[in-house]
Amino acid sequence: MKALLTKAFADLKRRRLQTAVVLLIVLLASGTATLALTLIQQTSDPYDRAFEAQRGAHLQVYFDASRVSREQVAATGDLIGASATGGPFPLSGIHLERGTQKLEANTQVQGRDQPGGQVAQLRLVAGRWASGPGEMVLTRSFADLYKVSLGDVVADVAVASKPALRVVGEAVDMGAGSADLSTNTFWVTEAQFPALSTGHPDWWVGYRFPGHPDDATLSRALDRLKAAFPSGAVDGSVNYLLFRTLFGITNSILTNTLLAFSVFALGASVAIVVNMVSGIVLAAYREVGVLKALGCTPVQVVAIFTFQMLMPALVGAIVGAALGTLIAQPLLQQSSHALGLPPDTTLSVLPDLVAVVVGLLLVAVAAALPALRAGRLSPSRALAMGTAPAHTGGSRVRRLLGTRTPRSLALGFGEAFARPVRAGLTVLAVLVGVATVVFALGARQSLDKVQAANTQQGSAQVLVQREQGYPDASVTATLAAEPDTARVVAVALNAVTIVGYSQPVSTQGFRGDATKLGYLVISGRWFQKPGEALAPKALLDDAHLHIGDTVAATAGGRSTPLTIVGESYSVSNFGHSLFVDLPTLQSLAPGQNPIYYYVVLRPGADMSAYIRRVSATAPDFLTVKSTNEQPIGPVQIIDSVTAVLAVVLVVIAAAGLFNTVLLSTRERLRDTAILKALGMTPGQVVAMVIATALALGVIGGILGVPAGVAIFRALITALNVSTGNDVPQQTLEVFTPLQLLAVPVLGLVVAALAAFLPGRWSARTPVVQVLRSE
Amino acid sequence: MSALVELREATRVYNGGSARAALDGVTLEIGLGELTAIMGPSGSGKSTLLNLVAGLDRPSSGRVVVDGADLTNMSEAALARFRRQRIGFVFQFFNLLPSLTVRENVLVPAQLAGMPAGKAEARSRELLDRLGIAETAGRFPSRLSGGQQQRVAMARALINSPALVLADEPTGALDSATGVQVMELLTELHREGQAILLVTHDAKLATRHAERVVSLFDGKVFDDSRLSRSGAAAGDLVRVVGQEVQR
Repeated sequence: MKALLTKAFADLKRRRLQTAVVLLIVLLASGTATLALTLIQQTSDPYDRAFEAQRGAHLQVYFDASRVSREQVAATGDLIGASATGGPFPLSGIHLERGTQKLEANTQVQGRDQPGGQVAQLRLVAGRWASGPGEMVLTRSFADLYKVSLGDVVADVAVASKPALRVVGEAVDMGAGSADLSTNTFWVTEAQFPALSTGHPDWWVGYRFPGHPDDATLSRALDRLKAAFPSGAVDGSVNYLLFRTLFGITNSILTNTLLAFSVFALGASVAIVVNMVSGIVLAAYREVGVLKALGCTPVQVVAIFTFQMLMPALVGAIVGAALGTLIAQPLLQQSSHALGLPPDTTLSVLPDLVAVVVGLLLVAVAAALPALRAGRLSPSRALAMGTAPAHTGGSRVRRLLGTRTPRSLALGFGEAFARPVRAGLTVLAVLVGVATVVFALGARQSLDKVQAANTQQGSAQVLVQREQGYPDASVTATLAAEPDTARVVAVALNAVTIVGYSQPVSTQGFRGDATKLGYLVISGRWFQKPGEALAPKALLDDAHLHIGDTVAATAGGRSTPLTIVGESYSVSNFGHSLFVDLPTLQSLAPGQNPIYYYVVLRPGADMSAYIRRVSATAPDFLTVKSTNEQPIGPVQIIDSVTAVLAVVLVVIAAAGLFNTVLLSTRERLRDTAILKALGMTPGQVVAMVIATALALGVIGGILGVPAGVAIFRALITALNVSTGNDVPQQTLEVFTPLQLLAVPVLGLVVAALAAFLPGRWSARTPVVQVLRSE
Repeated sequence: MSALVELREATRVYNGGSARAALDGVTLEIGLGELTAIMGPSGSGKSTLLNLVAGLDRPSSGRVVVDGADLTNMSEAALARFRRQRIGFVFQFFNLLPSLTVRENVLVPAQLAGMPAGKAEARSRELLDRLGIAETAGRFPSRLSGGQQQRVAMARALINSPALVLADEPTGALDSATGVQVMELLTELHREGQAILLVTHDAKLATRHAERVVSLFDGKVFDDSRLSRSGAAAGDLVRVVGQEVQR
């Protein structure tokens, strides 16, 4: 055994470069696998775990405090079969400022004297609960978003007196998503609440039901509540399934993408190891003969070659697993943050162990298979031959190229296919690298389109948000007076109920030409007159509607028929929203004026100056910002993960090519020396070696592009379906011909770079030395 | 006869000068159209001299001029171009490229030199015909006998019509009958005016075919004998270290 290890270690030292390649690729593959496994393990049902630990409310209902009393809503638990209730707590809108900085998220304030209770417990993660006047507790997500610290003083500008509030605690609320995506609640004592109320408070009640109630159960419960009170008494509701789905989608897309690509990375690594061991065995016939002559059994010979791969692989796998675990932490935190969940990053060795063991097993098998050839060699034949018989492959390729192709290139191209298995495995590694880059490029562009379609980035440059106390007419006049204003589209919001769907539907009423805001219409058309509406697939399906159907919409006791004229694309509430014109919305909610104003600027306008000017007209009532400041959190996470994957897979592909070219140049050392003796210049030698890499790169690139496009389309389709939408062609047709050409061309540049060093070494090896050592 | 190869005080020292010179201040001229044999025991400097003349190695000091080209300070690329245009190689172990067919092997130097494809093809056919191996054109070297492989190497050496053919122990890996055939081919080429520099340790072979024999010992010229072209001439002696060979 000692002799075997001594020999294996000696070979490792001799083949430092190949050892480094194995270490690098196994490190990257193991790191990616650990990352995926850690995310899968630690994010599997984190929402459910945290939800149960904090006894989250399955259903949150907002009652209009002017129509129902606290006592009335307190008794509603038995009415709908809830197992426990939380509240009622008074609730009102709030808008915070810190100094001159507006903290612009959608927020509300609740009067609540303690964080515990039977339902919707709040987990304090910093500071303490509010106990007196002027104290407030924020969500951790909001505090993170705006870098608010304990002790900071903020002012509620939603009320005229602008009362000051000191932040005394941070809590995790399972009843809300992250501050950048959903409405967050803050807490003050009930005694403090009246001073912060805007005059239209709600009663908030949280209900828990036995087991895990489904959507239908919760809808029936909500219907019973609505039936028990006068029309309009139930202001709104939130279903826990919304947040669970929101969290699950981001996670499942992220983990499935990572898992798929970590499998690709491991596959590419296996291909490279097989190539490497095959090459070493082919060059080491004489050594094998000597080992056998000295008494090594076939198994021992196989073990020597396998050990050589396993030793760097072990180091690579351990370091990779550690790095994967480390890199997973910010992703886990980002992922939890996407829903305002507490960071749950307990370190677990299981994913690391699995990644290391699986990685090593794969390397062992990949090394042992080609090493068997050495094990089976006859010692006398091995000693006599010295190296493997020269291959005669590649002649068909050379013939195909004819005699007019420069000889150095023809020889290089031919060499690429001289060993078909090696060529195939190398092409596989390149294919995976190119496919990942195509996938990452497409995903980024497609998600940008999704983001633009939902945040109006790229269509409108400025978003103005109006406080309720400031008249719509004043905002409209301000914007009209600005010479840089080209177009304004104003949006009013109201919850509307439609027949066939029990939940209130968020409805946007547009004033102005909304077709210019970048919204995607999947089928049908945009509304052209009052009474026409667009809805995404999920709402159409749930309400059993089709384009052309007319459905009754109600809000605040009023009703109007809506004709569905188009299928829209909106990730809001997982495809449960309506687009109508403003008069239609106002027929259901009179006096509901726009609060958002999307402004398209004239070409050449100074956006920053525009924002400053408009903001200065009513600094307490207008929030003016660039539409680019509204990133969607999950989109950013997926973007960054795909970019990292692309880099990892490209490095693995380049390592694979480098390895193949290195093996090939070493095997061809004598041939190259002869060619040099016959007059091949150093430049031609380098060109010949690079041609070998380019030939394999071209095939990998040609196959990798459609593979990458297919993976991309599968992911984007899954993403759109999971957000309750059909797939807009615009999110699939993102590649330009130039991009699809540029990726394989860039791949060829990487291939050429990977081959350059072996080519230079080959060109510099002295002819005399090589030919003398025959 | 003007000099085709000119070595002036050519010295080659390996291992940074700490070791003995492999070639030690050799001054030598080889004329156009000569068949010169370089002889000597192992370590005498034969291969070093050949490598210097071929432009595969550079002298540590002194000058090497071949066909008017001073190889001493040429770049690697210039040396490669020099070799492909002016030198033809015939090696002891043939050094054919195993992955190329006979035809492809012969064409390599012509293609490297940029000879038009049609002309190169015609020239390779002519050479293969002349050397009696036309039927092997599509085969790989591993399918040929040693003698056939050496003829392929000769065809390859001649395809660019080089000024000088360097033959390094061309019969060393062949049986005696095949060796004689190969030497007869070289002699025939010589008769047509081809300059040949033959490295061998076989004194009989050298004296039978060469018109001049240069003997090296310890990196120095030990003897330089011109022999009559017209067969045996009694008394012609070639001094080789440890022996005197009568032609």
